[in-house]
Amino acid sequence: MNNTYDVIIIGGGATGAGIARDCSLRGIKALLLERSDIATGATGRNHGLLHSGARYAVTDHESAEECIRENMILRKIAAHCVEETDGLFITLPEDGLDYQAIFVESCNKAGIRTEILDPDEAKRLEPSVNPDLIGAVRVPDGAVDPFRLTSSNILDAKAHGAEVRTYTEVMELIREQNRIIGVQAYDHRAKEERKFYARVVVNAGGIWGHGIAAKAGITVNMLPAKGALLIFGHRVNKMVLNRCRKPADADILVPGDTISLIGTTSSKIPYDQIDNMIITPEEVDILLREGEKLSPQLAYTRILRAYAGVRPLVASDDDPSGRTVSRGIVLLDHAQRDGMEGFITITGGKLMTYRLMAEWATDLICKKLGVNEVCRTAEIPLPGSVESEKEVERKMHGKPIAQKRSSIARHGALATEIDSRDSIKNSLVCECEEVSIGEVEYAMKNLSVNNLVDLRRRTRIGMGTCQGELCACRAAGLMGKRSPVCAKKAKEDIVSFLNERWKGMAPIAWGDTLRESEYTTWVYESVCGLSDETEKTSMP
Amino acid sequence: MKFDTVIIGGGLAGMACGIRIAEAGRSCAIVSQGQSAIHFSSGSFDLLGRMPDGREVTDPIAGITELEQTSQEHPYAVMGAERCLKYAQRVPELLRTSGISVLGDCRKNHYRVTPMGRSKATWLTIDGYLTEQEPGKLPFEKVCIVNVEGFLDFYPEFIAEEFRKYGVACCFETINFPDLEHIRKNPSEMRSANVARVFDHEKNLDALADKIRKVVPECDAVIVPAIIGINRNDSLGLLKSKIDIPLYLLPTLPPSIPGIKAQQTLQQCFRALGGEYFLGDTVRSADLENGRVKQVYTVNHGNIPFEADHFVLATGSFFSEGLVATPDRIVEPVFGADTVYASSRTEWYTLRFFDKQNYQAFGVKTDSALHVVKEGSSIDNLYCAGAGLVGFHPVQEGCGAGISLLSALYVADQILNSK
Repeated sequence: MNNTYDVIIIGGGATGAGIARDCSLRGIKALLLERSDIATGATGRNHGLLHSGARYAVTDHESAEECIRENMILRKIAAHCVEETDGLFITLPEDGLDYQAIFVESCNKAGIRTEILDPDEAKRLEPSVNPDLIGAVRVPDGAVDPFRLTSSNILDAKAHGAEVRTYTEVMELIREQNRIIGVQAYDHRAKEERKFYARVVVNAGGIWGHGIAAKAGITVNMLPAKGALLIFGHRVNKMVLNRCRKPADADILVPGDTISLIGTTSSKIPYDQIDNMIITPEEVDILLREGEKLSPQLAYTRILRAYAGVRPLVASDDDPSGRTVSRGIVLLDHAQRDGMEGFITITGGKLMTYRLMAEWATDLICKKLGVNEVCRTAEIPLPGSVESEKEVERKMHGKPIAQKRSSIARHGALATEIDSRDSIKNSLVCECEEVSIGEVEYAMKNLSVNNLVDLRRRTRIGMGTCQGELCACRAAGLMGKRSPVCAKKAKEDIVSFLNERWKGMAPIAWGDTLRESEYTTWVYESVCGLSDETEKTSMP
Repeated sequence: MKFDTVIIGGGLAGMACGIRIAEAGRSCAIVSQGQSAIHFSSGSFDLLGRMPDGREVTDPIAGITELEQTSQEHPYAVMGAERCLKYAQRVPELLRTSGISVLGDCRKNHYRVTPMGRSKATWLTIDGYLTEQEPGKLPFEKVCIVNVEGFLDFYPEFIAEEFRKYGVACCFETINFPDLEHIRKNPSEMRSANVARVFDHEKNLDALADKIRKVVPECDAVIVPAIIGINRNDSLGLLKSKIDIPLYLLPTLPPSIPGIKAQQTLQQCFRALGGEYFLGDTVRSADLENGRVKQVYTVNHGNIPFEADHFVLATGSFFSEGLVATPDRIVEPVFGADTVYASSRTEWYTLRFFDKQNYQAFGVKTDSALHVVKEGSSIDNLYCAGAGLVGFHPVQEGCGAGISLLSALYVADQILNSK
């Protein structure tokens, strides 16, 4: 096996995927290693907000400018991952209108289009908004699907020659004097150690990058900041809703696909807790209390799940106390910083700037490799966004309408590759999200799906109101069809899927959520007779 | 409207209680909002499969005798082992006379086979379903598992994976024909109840029988999903008469045909006995007078009250909304009965889905005669039966159906013995 590459990228979040794409478009042979599935870290655990930058306009001019630039680029290159909803920054009586003037001025300075609306106009545009508002500013916020975005980057990277290995965890960095020459990784599926070599190793591990750098004896001082969010069972708002005040807890409500999301709280957590995200009742309370101020109907809307991500905030090198943090992009050339050749870290930043982060990192990789190619990721559309939605719809003429819409929304132009030749392929596996047998098979074949949770990320299966009540079983059935080994694994898979789902439901398990859970217990444990055979100690 | 007894809830408990009361010639009404746990029945009724500490139970009555000593809150312990035995012995007869033919013994569990091929201890199984005397002791060596093309709620590969562990050879066959194409036109229609309607037509049963006959040379039995006979009673017999090897049914994911069928059968039996069944109605409030329930009001009947001498709360637990969880309490919505639950929400569950979750044992407070308790006092003409009772884990202990049936008969006896 050839195990030598130009570059090894550690981390399959948006940034890592973006670097893999950028490198392969520039003719650099890249290997991406991800210890779990793609988009499982902070990438998949945020609002899915296509920031206009307005939120940062007053406090962080540089971030605001980056955001609006990337916002406009993503609308072009990742159209199928983006919903152009626009956003409102609303002023409530308790906020006062003073902030609005500074806000508008700062937005304009950063190049963010604003439109001041009177409250009635705002209510007309967004009927779910708190009717007590005293002011509103319209900005080009939107929604972006982080799973889809990452997956498209991976698809394109692979199409241009990159190799992507999920469930492959970097255990050691292989070092030769003052140079990193490769990595030693553990393949969780094959259950074996493997070594890979490259001239440059990129640490794109997000908050986990702290630990990866430590393997080279290098300190990147990261401060894990936990942010909790709640997902609501239907789409409450059409436009993104923000509070027009200094950024605070739970003041963004984002619509996305069939749901709405409120977030986030922000609390520093110890580094050893980053893999152990438990949502507290207090966090749920804050999210609901503040969320209802944006849109009072949240009080009556069913909550689907609670979850939390960890932002990788980086302490400035010149402030060891960690009090000065930057939300901006941090690119570290460890050759310069620490005298360690062949190793770079890209971190900080945010989902919005993943492409720019990838561009910076790839520029540095090129410099180290002596490659003289320019970045083209801002111009070349991602797979799925090559054709317009209209064009794709035309090609899929005659398919069931609802399914056609949801599959185009999920896969863009690639929806045409989903087998829909007969009624069996069109049968629904998941009714809430309209996922067909054809789509499940397409994802299993083309989108490196290893288990049900992976499948959920690719297709939204089990993400609707019922949270995978029956469709998990159906999808497992389809996965189990592939071979007897698959049948055994698929059964175990249902158990981990249900555990994963329950982790998000437990913090909000009352009302209908508790009803669904009782029903799910009956179906899986009583009717099907499944049980959890995994060690009790493997989970908190 | 005036009745001797009004039963709120038309699940297994409400129905069993209603049949006993109507049988005795008393006027009885059941108000049912329509859905209950019976709709996802496995084709079997469990009495006691495991002790609260997880030990497997072979003799449910012996297990109940032990519960009497160790788990005094458990409904079986509240009723007492002697009564439980008495009522358990009556149940098969009650089901059979209603039209549900079952086999099983309350002194010895047998095993049902799940849609995933696992074995689960159980008490009574409806005729036609595959059972085992010991886990894995299957009545065939080579079996063909037949499924309907594109039917996703039944898992031949999962079943085979378990069967092969016991040395049983498995092969698969799928069946498809024009009437199935018809229901597939709507992509969300391939569910058990719709498929079962297709098999109510004899020509489609014939097609299935043809298919089975073709595979017979290689196998000594066939398994088909429980999608036979939703609106007619003779389908399974008819199908069996067309083939000459043993055929066994296995349950599917919900909706459960044996469940729907059992529900319909019990309901018809109750009506035939003169009972009044109000389907699709919900009791929303009650009038209490001198510590007794005087009458209840329903959504459909507005201000026309249902008066009765006795009332039975058989509304079930969370799924059927007999219990409602708010962020900080568990509420019984009809009477505002006292409920038993942990006060801090973090104690309601653990983060592992398959753990024994405390919330599943929450329920309505009763006295030892199963009178509902409100504000600390028993209401002597209001009883609670079934899943709304406190102190048991229906799924982990495999006792949901047993609690429903036994508590229903206990309550019915008390009503019949009064006045």
